[in-house]
Amino acid sequence: MEGSSQPIIITRGLRKEYDMGAETVYALRGVDIEIQRNEFIAVMGPSGSGKSTLMNLIGCLDTPTAGEYVLNGTPVQDLDDDDLARIRNEEIGFVFQTFNLLARATALHNVELPLIYAGVKAAERRDRAAAALDRVGLGDRMDHRPNELSGGQKQRVAIARSLVNQPSILLADEPTGNLDSATSADIMRLFVELHRHGQTIIMVTHEHDIASFAGRIVTLVDGMVASYDAKLGPTPASVMTASAATTP
Amino acid sequence: MSIAEALRVALSQIWAHKLKSLFSLIGVVIGITFLIAVITVVEGMNRYVQEDFAGSLFGVNSFSIVQRPTVQTGNYSAEELRRLARNRDVDLDDVEAVRRAVPDARYIAWRNASRMDEVWYGERRRRNIRVIGGSEQYQAIQGWEIDRGRGLTPLDQQRALKVAVIGPAIAEKLFPNGAALGKRIRLQAHRFEVVGVFERKGGLFGNAWDAAVLVPYETFNQTLSTKRDRVREISVKANNQREMLAAMDAVEEALRIRRGLRPGEENDFHFQTSSGLLSAWETINNILLAAVPGLVSVSLVVGGIVIMNIMLVSVTQRTREIGVRKAMGARQRDIMLQFLAESSIVSLVGAALGIGLGLGLGKLVERLSPLPASIPPWALAMAIGLGLLVGLSSGIYPARRASRLNPIDALRYE
Ligand SMILES: Nc1ncnc2c1ncn2[C@@H]1O[C@H](COP(=O)(O)OP(=O)(O)O)[C@@H](O)[C@H]1O
Ligand SMILES: [Mg+2]
Repeated sequence: MEGSSQPIIITRGLRKEYDMGAETVYALRGVDIEIQRNEFIAVMGPSGSGKSTLMNLIGCLDTPTAGEYVLNGTPVQDLDDDDLARIRNEEIGFVFQTFNLLARATALHNVELPLIYAGVKAAERRDRAAAALDRVGLGDRMDHRPNELSGGQKQRVAIARSLVNQPSILLADEPTGNLDSATSADIMRLFVELHRHGQTIIMVTHEHDIASFAGRIVTLVDGMVASYDAKLGPTPASVMTASAATTP
Repeated sequence: MSIAEALRVALSQIWAHKLKSLFSLIGVVIGITFLIAVITVVEGMNRYVQEDFAGSLFGVNSFSIVQRPTVQTGNYSAEELRRLARNRDVDLDDVEAVRRAVPDARYIAWRNASRMDEVWYGERRRRNIRVIGGSEQYQAIQGWEIDRGRGLTPLDQQRALKVAVIGPAIAEKLFPNGAALGKRIRLQAHRFEVVGVFERKGGLFGNAWDAAVLVPYETFNQTLSTKRDRVREISVKANNQREMLAAMDAVEEALRIRRGLRPGEENDFHFQTSSGLLSAWETINNILLAAVPGLVSVSLVVGGIVIMNIMLVSVTQRTREIGVRKAMGARQRDIMLQFLAESSIVSLVGAALGIGLGLGLGKLVERLSPLPASIPPWALAMAIGLGLLVGLSSGIYPARRASRLNPIDALRYE
């Protein structure tokens, strides 16, 4: 690690338990990780190992049962509801496996959503949302509703939405889980491109060829980190050059 | 999120669920329709009573002396009614006393009147008429206008001629081809020559006057009266309110002396004024207006519950949407605002429809009756205020539920 630069994410003993009445599910059982700015990380692990739980905690969609989480130098566990909403709005961009677009809204309006809650004025909002859609190659689909878009296009809208507020971290929970392999590769190329422009990305996947686009792989097993610094090699030549320099 | 943004989101949501939205505002529509319709009618009746009814019965700045109230307004106790029934009949000696007491009055008139009677012309008959024996100024004090022929003259009065001015409803029935003047009609055993026909007064209360026959007081006294020199009503019209009150005092004193009442003894006659009638009307009016809030609030509460339940269903159906919005940075108050905007718009639209329907009902009443439709601005403000109140209060619980959802639970909701 580069001693001088502070990690963008630090977790210490992060735990998440679900009380299910008779039994307690231990989804995370003390996770310590550090992630540097500009890293592209893949989180892997068997189903039920706690990957999504970890992502939701990092994304401030959920709160841990125990442990510390410091985001950009801010201890998140001390924040109230409004602060968490502000962090989700300003610091985090989320991409979900199931896209989670507003079904009745146009692509443009979906992308505007974070800007609405950031209090950006309508005209600027439009411009920035349109620019974000351009960036993911959907400049000509702005007025389409989700049911008029393919899976890959939907996910691009979701990515544009996650980026429109220039978040510090892009979180993607199995972003290609619902896509065919050709479309998945397109999305991965987009991620590599974003990463090359300095975007910090944390991505959950259970597919090795998807994970191979990342610079570092964190593997969870049974709610604990099993391997912290693995690398899959060699990534496809076309994107290798773009992502090579990122791992500290 | 700004309020404008919340309203925009709410509007698109309402538009996307037109049918559901329409259904949810029915309760409010009913409540507000009712509110506006009742206020329109009550206000209309109010105006009618003040401007037309009271004026046409007594005229402005007028009072009359009667044995007991001729207009039943319902605000006398049984006790009072018994006392009034014991009052002495009014007669021509009372008329003399009144004339001497207020020599400067603009008009003084007196009348006797039959109970419901019938009038004949040949084989034709009109039932349910009223014969009035009126003094010289009676027609003037009543403000009755002549349509054809002439009114009663001083000569008719002095000589107690058997002449009659008939109401238009009678003229129509007895003389379908219009030629009423100069014809001789029969009232009980007496024949009268028709010298004039009154203009139609129409209206809710004017209809009775349209079926009246006016004959000279003295003629009535000699022919149809059941008791000699009896007077049903002495009417005095002053030039203004102040003179009217002074005249009432003078008349009261004169009548008490003439009737030999001792100090402390109650009057054995009754004053009737348009303001007295109006205060009686006000009592009715207040009862009506007091009943409205109860009925309206019941329908508004029901309307509010309907909106609340539909909003709760809507919150459940839109749990994922709420999750998405929260994941994108919506704060609790943003979600709250969105749902409150939605319930308020629905309720306000309901209130607007209710105002429209209520005014429509009022107009219908205006068409079908002589009552003018009159809606005071405060009623509109109240309707809108109530709409907003129902919207906010029915939205607050669903909105809180929505706003407090944990983002991840909302996103995961199936
Ligand atoms: N809301 C919840 N309630 C109860 N158990 C949960 C909940 N969310 C996740 N879990 C449990 O926590 C564990 C980790 O889940 P998750 O993080 O979704 O795993 P992964 O994403 O790695 O498949 C699983 O056993 C799962 O059943
Ligand atoms: Mg998962």
